[in-house]
Amino acid sequence: MRVLEPWVADPLAEFLRESSARVALVMTSAGQVIAQHGFTRSLDVMSAAALGAGILATTGELARIIGTAGNFGAVVHQGEQQGVWLAGFDTPRGRWIALVTFGRESSVGLVRLFFARFAEQLAAATPPATAVREVLAEGFERELDDSLRALFGGS
Amino acid sequence: MSGDRWQQILREVTGVPGVRGALILSADDGLVVAESAMDALDTADVAALAAMLVSRAGRCAAAMGTAAPTAVHLTARHGALVAVAGPEPLWLAAVADHDAELGRLRLLLGDFAGAIG
Repeated sequence: MRVLEPWVADPLAEFLRESSARVALVMTSAGQVIAQHGFTRSLDVMSAAALGAGILATTGELARIIGTAGNFGAVVHQGEQQGVWLAGFDTPRGRWIALVTFGRESSVGLVRLFFARFAEQLAAATPPATAVREVLAEGFERELDDSLRALFGGS
Repeated sequence: MSGDRWQQILREVTGVPGVRGALILSADDGLVVAESAMDALDTADVAALAAMLVSRAGRCAAAMGTAAPTAVHLTARHGALVAVAGPEPLWLAAVADHDAELGRLRLLLGDFAGAIG
């Protein structure tokens, strides 16, 4: 597991253990990856983050068209061997998105159950917000490199 | 099988003294198919965990070289979960207090489980 925010690690580890999920990606609604487990290539993470955010945006718009108050809670794609759970959830740091894949050793119900606990534990573990640092153009590349190193290791 | 018949079965199960709730769940995805329960009982959570229990029991039976389980009975200090297999992938389950008539409950679940398909 790789995390950008250390306080995400424990709730995410517990969620992965309890739900038997295989892969997890936690990101902000703007697409910034906060934590990942199970991905080995940064390209896969960036693709999954973009696609996941796109799917949630699409279902949010569908919800608006059919007159559902707010967004749908979660989107589930169930395949023969694997399923995908995609959900937006509120945190003290704003709305985040989680993308979870699970196999036959788990189930939609189990992921739903422990995902709700994960969101609660994350909210409880969130430290008070600090002043947002301004990312200057000259520091952007270094900030991006630091984030990628934190998420995938390496030098 | 109509939803009305399911509800009739679930009402009969919850009519057993000490039963806090009954549900039909899909063991494949751990979701509630139909339910009849007291407000305090979170049937969605029960369905998810019961499905996991059934899945683990199935793997345990396979490892032992025995047939897949057709009933699971979990007893805890303050209550019990009894689940009986219906037509694949459905299970009929009930959550009961520790002093409920568990024998009668299990017989009733067995009688009804085959009829929920």
